[in-house]
Amino acid sequence: MGTYFEIDKLELLKAQFDTAEFDAEANEPAIYIGKEQLLDLMKVLRETPTYSFDRMSCLTAVDYKEYFEMVYCLYSRRFDKWVTVKVKLDHDNPEVESMTQIWEGTNFEERETYDLMGIKFLHHPDLRRILMPDNYDGHPLQKDFVPLEPRIEGGVLTWHKQKSSS
Amino acid sequence: MAQTEKFVLNMGPQHPSTHGVLQVQVELDGENIVGATPVMGYLHRGIEKLMESRTYVQCVPYTDRLDYVSAMNNNLGFCMAVEKLANIEVPRRAEYIRVICAELNRIASHHVFIGSLTNDLGSATGMIYAFRDREKILDLFNIICGARMTAHYIRIGGVAADAQEEFLRDTQKFIDYVPAMLDEYDRIFTGNEIFQARMQNTSIITKEDALKYSMSGPNIRASGIDYDIRKIDKYGAYGDFDFEIPLGKQGDNWDRYIVRLKEIQQSANIIQQALDNLPEGPYMAKVPKVLKPPKGDAYHRVENTRGELGFYIVSDGSTKPYRVHIRRPSIVNLQALDTMCRGMLLADAVTAFATIDPLMGEVDC
Repeated sequence: MGTYFEIDKLELLKAQFDTAEFDAEANEPAIYIGKEQLLDLMKVLRETPTYSFDRMSCLTAVDYKEYFEMVYCLYSRRFDKWVTVKVKLDHDNPEVESMTQIWEGTNFEERETYDLMGIKFLHHPDLRRILMPDNYDGHPLQKDFVPLEPRIEGGVLTWHKQKSSS
Repeated sequence: MAQTEKFVLNMGPQHPSTHGVLQVQVELDGENIVGATPVMGYLHRGIEKLMESRTYVQCVPYTDRLDYVSAMNNNLGFCMAVEKLANIEVPRRAEYIRVICAELNRIASHHVFIGSLTNDLGSATGMIYAFRDREKILDLFNIICGARMTAHYIRIGGVAADAQEEFLRDTQKFIDYVPAMLDEYDRIFTGNEIFQARMQNTSIITKEDALKYSMSGPNIRASGIDYDIRKIDKYGAYGDFDFEIPLGKQGDNWDRYIVRLKEIQQSANIIQQALDNLPEGPYMAKVPKVLKPPKGDAYHRVENTRGELGFYIVSDGSTKPYRVHIRRPSIVNLQALDTMCRGMLLADAVTAFATIDPLMGEVDC
């Protein structure tokens, strides 16, 4: 079983990035980073030979009502290590740099996160909906999501806000 | 010389060789493919959202419906993630029974792969052979849990029922039959000249491409990269068993077929060792009737038949998960489809769809 990234290396990263934070008391502490420094941190994690996190294992977002949180689980094949990186995003305008700039294989996962959670990825090569219909207005995994009503209009499937039921 | 114009051909979602409702927009120049864009979503059921309104125990049957030809592996992934979150220790006997079922399911899934591949290449007979043998495994599942495909057998804390004598005896019978079965496959498919000509040196994925697209499972191993979560993480009881990881050489269609064929033998070896050393004891841990994992999150990954299947679960301390994210190998592997098809003939696209082995229940979630 792979082990979690060492605390002293996390301390090093914290010294390097001023927005980096982690809970030293926790069992497997995730690194929280400001969204401006995310891309630089990821580049360091991927390219530094003593870290070499070459696989993006899991990329997802969680809706905490006040804010969105991006979660990245990275794995290093060389050292058999894990690390979790988290970024808090503004709920009104969730935008974050796309990881396709470092790991090209995150393309579909980011499209899915955009489609279902509504996070916009900057500098993504092809940010379109992937699972929901193209003309759908809404992001189902958000906590305040209300399903839209399907209707056929002029032979085309369209989506409409539900009328408030009394 | 005749001038040709670029042309977009929609293959699917109701094309027999796209294995479910996958739509691929193939861009053609004459008969050469210059681009392939997968379009998904026709089977999207919102399983991640549905899980948020169900208790942890009620979530398990939904995982059966993800990758419906290897349900046991999905059950295993979800249950292990919840166990990690709630700190549940699983009894040794249950771990072994889980491994037996997961590996049987891996063989059954590779049967579907071989069957549909040969069917796509024009040999309907091949499909009958593979599905005949898959039926034997489904009958075993019928004995152990009463369901053939959507098993819901692996539960949080162990398994639903103990493995009966009848199941163990019949599993042993099946394992004894595996070498003869593989020998028969070699005589019917592997040695077939047309089969080889269609598969060798087509749709090559290089090592670099496989890493670039974050591929996993037999697809990445066919490109020669030793990446198997069973060996790396040694989750459950996998650390106890001795098995090899078959690797391909150049990552063409042929390697992807051979790797899966060899994996069947390795899975059979694992099951044999598990049957020989099956410990006695309880098959279920003491799990509270109302399961409330502590606040926090957990990510756990297992090797299902298509690759790295991960469950990321956030608990808010209540009986229902706050958020479940499923990292599905099929959708990530599909990113390589364009590279695989580019420069091939249209007839080879069908082979590429078959060997990348996407399962739409998992792609669309």
